[in-house]
Amino acid sequence: MTDPRIRAAIRYPNDLTVPGMWHIRLVRSPHPHARVTGIDTSLLPQGVVVLTPSDVEPLGRYGCQIADQHVLAGVARHVGDPVAAVAAAAEATAREAANLLEVGYEKLPAVFDERDALRAGAPLVHDTHAVSGSDAAYFGLRPLEGTNACHRFRIRTAGLPQGEPYTADPEPDDHAEGFDGAEVVVDETFHMPAVQHVAMEPHACIAGWRDGRLEVTTGTQTPFNMRQDLAGLFGLAERDVRIVCPPMGGSFGAKTFVRTEAIAAAVARRLDRPVRLALDRDEEFVTLTRHAATVRIRLGATREGRFVAKRVWCWVNTGAYADCGPGVAMKMGYAGVGPYRFDHVAVDSWCVYTNLPPAGAFRGYGAAQSVWASERITDLLAAELGVDPVELRRRNLLVDGDAFCTGETMHDVHFTELLDDAARAVGWQPGGDNRGKGVAVMLKGMQTPSRAEVGLRRVGDGHYEVLSGTTEMGQGSARAIAQLAADLLGVEVDQVEVPPPDTDRVPYDTRTTSSRSTHMMGRALEAAVEDLKNSGGDHGHGRTANEGGLDPDTGQGIASSHWHQGAAAAAVEVDDETGVLTLRSVHAASYAGRVVNQAAAELQQEGSMIMAIGTTLFEELTFDQGQVVGPNLSDYNIPAALDCAALTQSILEVEGAEVHGLGETALPPVPPAIGNALASLGYRPTELPLTPERVLDCAEDAS
Amino acid sequence: MTWMAPRTVAEAVRLKAEWPEATLVAGGTFVGILTRQGLLAPDDWISLQHVAELRELSTGSELALGAMVTHRRVELDPEIAAGWPGVQRVFAAVASPRVRNAATVGGVLGDADYASDPPAMLVALDAWVEALSVRGLRRIAVADLILGHYQTSLEEDELITRVLVPRGRHHVTYRKLRTRSREDRPCVAVAGCFSDGRVSVVVGAVAERPQVFPDLCAAWNPTDGASAREIAAGYADRIDPISDNRGSAAYRSRMIAVEVRRALETLAPAALTTQVAGG
Repeated sequence: MTDPRIRAAIRYPNDLTVPGMWHIRLVRSPHPHARVTGIDTSLLPQGVVVLTPSDVEPLGRYGCQIADQHVLAGVARHVGDPVAAVAAAAEATAREAANLLEVGYEKLPAVFDERDALRAGAPLVHDTHAVSGSDAAYFGLRPLEGTNACHRFRIRTAGLPQGEPYTADPEPDDHAEGFDGAEVVVDETFHMPAVQHVAMEPHACIAGWRDGRLEVTTGTQTPFNMRQDLAGLFGLAERDVRIVCPPMGGSFGAKTFVRTEAIAAAVARRLDRPVRLALDRDEEFVTLTRHAATVRIRLGATREGRFVAKRVWCWVNTGAYADCGPGVAMKMGYAGVGPYRFDHVAVDSWCVYTNLPPAGAFRGYGAAQSVWASERITDLLAAELGVDPVELRRRNLLVDGDAFCTGETMHDVHFTELLDDAARAVGWQPGGDNRGKGVAVMLKGMQTPSRAEVGLRRVGDGHYEVLSGTTEMGQGSARAIAQLAADLLGVEVDQVEVPPPDTDRVPYDTRTTSSRSTHMMGRALEAAVEDLKNSGGDHGHGRTANEGGLDPDTGQGIASSHWHQGAAAAAVEVDDETGVLTLRSVHAASYAGRVVNQAAAELQQEGSMIMAIGTTLFEELTFDQGQVVGPNLSDYNIPAALDCAALTQSILEVEGAEVHGLGETALPPVPPAIGNALASLGYRPTELPLTPERVLDCAEDAS
Repeated sequence: MTWMAPRTVAEAVRLKAEWPEATLVAGGTFVGILTRQGLLAPDDWISLQHVAELRELSTGSELALGAMVTHRRVELDPEIAAGWPGVQRVFAAVASPRVRNAATVGGVLGDADYASDPPAMLVALDAWVEALSVRGLRRIAVADLILGHYQTSLEEDELITRVLVPRGRHHVTYRKLRTRSREDRPCVAVAGCFSDGRVSVVVGAVAERPQVFPDLCAAWNPTDGASAREIAAGYADRIDPISDNRGSAAYRSRMIAVEVRRALETLAPAALTTQVAGG
């Protein structure tokens, strides 16, 4: 049977209509920071309904980690912030009316750079930082009132001074506790810009009210967070909100938490009819981005190449609204330490508001930015010591039984094998001439704590239905879950149906993120099948949870109940006159535990690498006074088929191991592997992407 | 909205005379994007999709491409590859096969988009277009067709019917410097042509129209590497490049000096052979 995606048999959120629905167009701020002083609707045609900030102000604020966002902005905090919604029976009418709406603004000072935003006197993007009551605010948030820092995460290993007061530091002082035993110290600052997810399908939803209940059909990876946040906004019990999630045409993190759904729900309530809100491509660029980040790392070692101490500072640009930025800042903090042994580790990571479009979840969550910095600095140290970069890593990589910087004991770790696999794939010569080649290793946590439940129902002879909150965004989760259930039930995979999640029908699941679903749903399914067999064979229910979490003040605890582990290697050539970097070979090696579906696993690996190529070579959102330059797919390039010829990957499996997710592992190690390959040819790259212009600028002999 | 779909060239020019404001649609790869982005919202359209005459292609003493011939046909035609390798190469360098299957040779010139590949090469090869209206036919050199950003010397009632390239003993080179995806447009494009003892180097994608300096080209001494370097420096000096997402003006200036020199170096062996053969 042909894949339904190829037969055009899937109805995505953007394809859906319901009888009697109206259409919404959003009016967006042209200013990066401005108070709305008035909205003139006098030019609007008949039959158009407008919602303004004052209409929705009584709903209060929402936000998955910090409650900082109104349904429509009375104070616009980025270019593109929705300040009004216009609805009409025909989409063209709504579009025309949105252009005719006159909005008055009083401009306010704006700030764009994540470190500038922490300097004394910087304009405040938000006056206060109220921690959200949402389930997604699952760790201790540490907003710094009176600054633009909405969260600060810290790691201090035992033996380092503890409990210093919190400050928002754009230029941290150079105190060097823990570096006493370090004979060689390298220190460098790195940067990664914002990028866009560019899912093929834009954000699209339909909202309506029925008998006092809110029903939203939308593309989202977070149906239960969406249900909770919308219930909170509209003063409803969670059971009175229904979220239905058809398969998405891609997401990569873009369709997480409340995006356009609150506006659609508010307009639907006003009209007392269903409404559709689907974004244009240019609106995607102001809806959610990947966090730009500046990461400084100091790394100290003995002359023999034993790592002694590491100091990491991350400034994480979350834009106008926190979204899940505090969580990103936390994960960036520990991912920047990397899978290595140290005597001492200290990390400070700030999640910083600016007047740019909000940043949120993105494939490689929190890891991409700091792994770029961490693995580049490892090579700077190798060069300083004159040690082979693979050998330097091998001497320091975590092995089973070692403690990570969080204090947790590592188990089922395979970093050395993965590094060796990747290095071999590009023809690395141990101790030989490896000019033009580079390697990188990384660890990435899975959502911890989290829980998953699943229901199982027999539907006729030998057929079963799995009721799961895991959402399908092209990654093949429905197929993987069907496969897992079929194996456990001892039936064929086509005897198992996995309908799209509907919060009225499926039991609770934390969310479809952090490459957790195959692992967590797999465990919950084992329990559900057991339950089904013990209770007559018609119904089963299973639940599982992974426990843990980090103390936000010391960074000690359980960061992740198991680890995504990956390595990459690259071989490159550079045209010294033009700066054009050519990929000869790029290989990613990831740990899978046990593979559920070989083809799908390989596609996930390739997909991650393709996005990594964009991040490494050319993807970058550029802004002019906060406005995205060229929010279209001609001015903003993503990788195309011809860019992918050099990519290969491998998956490490271990007999009897548990299932590990593979959705993101092959993304974070690729940029530093390529950066290190470039560095071996006489360049010192610190900023991504490695455009030819930037390559020339970082040539070591550049004047 | 009016959508007109003439079946003959005569009908097309008559409609264009009657509806001078109407937007012409050839392959749709340019106006499609602009319309989708809301930058173009015309009431009236004239589609050339069904004008069979405009798809004619002939190779004789000159290459004659109907305006609706696609990039892909030019790329895959063996006679064009043999007789006009520069034309074949430059159309093959555009975007991806999907785009080349739709984009047309008339469309790419009519758009006058600074970042397109073909104009620089067509200027280097002394190509011209035929512009037809109810008032008659005129020939316009490609060098005189593109005036600026999205601006041509076509009158409101004219449409490009053919693109013509003379046959010649051309030695050509096309250097496309991409700074992003392999399917991206050029950051700097250099078309070089050596023919009948004369070299022409045209730089595209750096300014609002293709840049050529015949006085600098005339000074070329292919036996002397310094000559190529000087000409390249002259091009870099005279061109005031734009900045866009593909590269800053400063980077483009630097690359013009590199890529013009490399184009001349590529043509030098042919120039030397010809000079020796010609005595």
